[in-house]
Amino acid sequence: MAIELIDPELCSGCAACVDSCPMDVIRMDPDQAVAVIRYGEDCMMCELCIVDCPEDAITVTPFAVSPAVRSWG
Amino acid sequence: MKETTVQTDVLVIGGGMAGCFAAVKAREAGRDVVLVDKGYVSKSGETPYAGDTAVFNPAWGHDLDAWLTQVRTVGEYLNDARWTEIVFRDSYERFLDLRAFGVEFLEEDGEPVRLDHPLTQIELPDRDKFPPLVSQVVHWLPGWPAKLRKAVVKSGAKIIDRFVVTELLMEDGRVVGAAGFDVEGNATRVLRAGAVVMSAGGGGFKAVGYPTHELTADGHVMAYRAGCEVTGKEFLSPHHTNPEEPGWPPIYPVFASGHSAAFPGAWHDPEMVNAEGDPVPVRGMAWHGWIDAEWEAHEGRAPVLAAGPPDGKVRPLSGPGGHGSMLGHAAGGIVPVDDTCATHVPGLYAAGDSCGTCFVGAAYSGFGFATMHAAVTGARAGLGAAEYARSADRAAPDARGEAEALERALAPLRRRGGFTPRWTTQVLQNALAPYFVLYIKKEERLRAALTTVEFLRDHVVPKLYARDDHELRLAHETANMVANAEMKLRASLLRTESRGTHYREDFPRRDDPDWLAWVRLKDEGGVMTPFTEPIPEESRPDPALPYAQRYPMRLPGEEAR
Repeated sequence: MAIELIDPELCSGCAACVDSCPMDVIRMDPDQAVAVIRYGEDCMMCELCIVDCPEDAITVTPFAVSPAVRSWG
Repeated sequence: MKETTVQTDVLVIGGGMAGCFAAVKAREAGRDVVLVDKGYVSKSGETPYAGDTAVFNPAWGHDLDAWLTQVRTVGEYLNDARWTEIVFRDSYERFLDLRAFGVEFLEEDGEPVRLDHPLTQIELPDRDKFPPLVSQVVHWLPGWPAKLRKAVVKSGAKIIDRFVVTELLMEDGRVVGAAGFDVEGNATRVLRAGAVVMSAGGGGFKAVGYPTHELTADGHVMAYRAGCEVTGKEFLSPHHTNPEEPGWPPIYPVFASGHSAAFPGAWHDPEMVNAEGDPVPVRGMAWHGWIDAEWEAHEGRAPVLAAGPPDGKVRPLSGPGGHGSMLGHAAGGIVPVDDTCATHVPGLYAAGDSCGTCFVGAAYSGFGFATMHAAVTGARAGLGAAEYARSADRAAPDARGEAEALERALAPLRRRGGFTPRWTTQVLQNALAPYFVLYIKKEERLRAALTTVEFLRDHVVPKLYARDDHELRLAHETANMVANAEMKLRASLLRTESRGTHYREDFPRRDDPDWLAWVRLKDEGGVMTPFTEPIPEESRPDPALPYAQRYPMRLPGEEAR
């Protein structure tokens, strides 16, 4: 996974990363009031979320790509 | 799902550099403005990746003829010289605007530091044989996208983030607004407007498995469907992507921390080495940014290794079927019909990478040219749209047409099965991204890819389905990418020569008598129809110039420098 972690211990729930993400990878968890990785397979590793996170809570690695989709439906 | 209707004078679709300028200028002209973006205004598309912007200013010693010659030579005469000059001449005023927005630039003694074109900083024994690169950039300091957004907010334009526009609304042959939905939750909106600015970026293709951000061609396709002409689709902006570590280099954090490729000493010539250990010949404008790696792959000499910036580490730059490309940066897009960026469809204006001014021609010679072009066309489109919205009669709302548009927007969500956007996108990427389709082109391979694309268009796209709100956006993006693929293939088939970043194995030379012309595409009765338009007589190269001087970029098979 390209985006690997949004540390729930560090996340302050400001949602800056939700706005930063061009791919809608990150959403807010309505129950926990923290940001969570919802669509990690669409991460493009641009690291905009890392730049904007005031708590340094996000880890992105440069190695992974989106998995191949083998099923058409 | 809740449905709302928004009414405004000027609707701007896409909030990068171009859209922000359009919004601010339309507000300055006294019009109400709504600016929507499927991401977040100021951070969407390619805007955050820009490290510099080019600025032409005679007071800094810049020579207009020399700058125009750079673009003409690298763009191989297919730049629209009128637009090239407009962009250069407007750029200083847009630079002053950016300063007024609060964007900070690297300065010395109150003057911005001008940085030379990075490729002129590479030592070459035969520099005089490469195209002349005289353009300069200025470097903005970290945090500038936030200043851009602040300027939009201060102007009084209303921002709607994370909203996907799916189609333009038409009335009597005019564009009168747009329809779409929220990324999260999919609540629908009708956006009624006196005029619309399309500034939603460009579109290219990357290999299967790569995300499609900034490659979906939403703006080009929506405008094409509304009746606009589109141009420049056969050309490429070959930004290579590392196949093993696609997130490297991390471009945005590098630029956001104040890096510039134009800093003296910052740019390394990648010095590609092929699998046989031989250096790869430089064919482009002094670096390996063109089709060099693809040609090595084609000749069976992959992997190509390159020690690239920013750390000088050796990595495989590309491999057969695994290379990436960005978009036709500022090369192609919606054809403007006048200096205000009006299009063939009344009420619609185009700006930035969505706008096909052809100001760079068949290959991109600039550093910082795309942001300069986005600022200039954004401002002009904003003012043009504002004037149109002020003076034109408003159409009465067509409630039925609006409801049908919203139905189409939500249709993939209503289907219970069909084809997923992710699978379809990967099939498309597999058909388009291998080097032998859009880089080393040949008629039968283009036709084979087109057969696949036509099947996707006719059979798969109508059955795309979305399992949740996130996939609804993907479904519409996938449909747009299929349309963009058809445009790129049809334009590539028509141009039966090689020029700039368009290389045809079956027509491997430039053909000045027949092809000093642009390829345009338009919808004729539901059929995507390519046609040509000759460049103006005064833009043609001097036929008395020796070929190697007329075309300093070398095509495969042409003698090395």
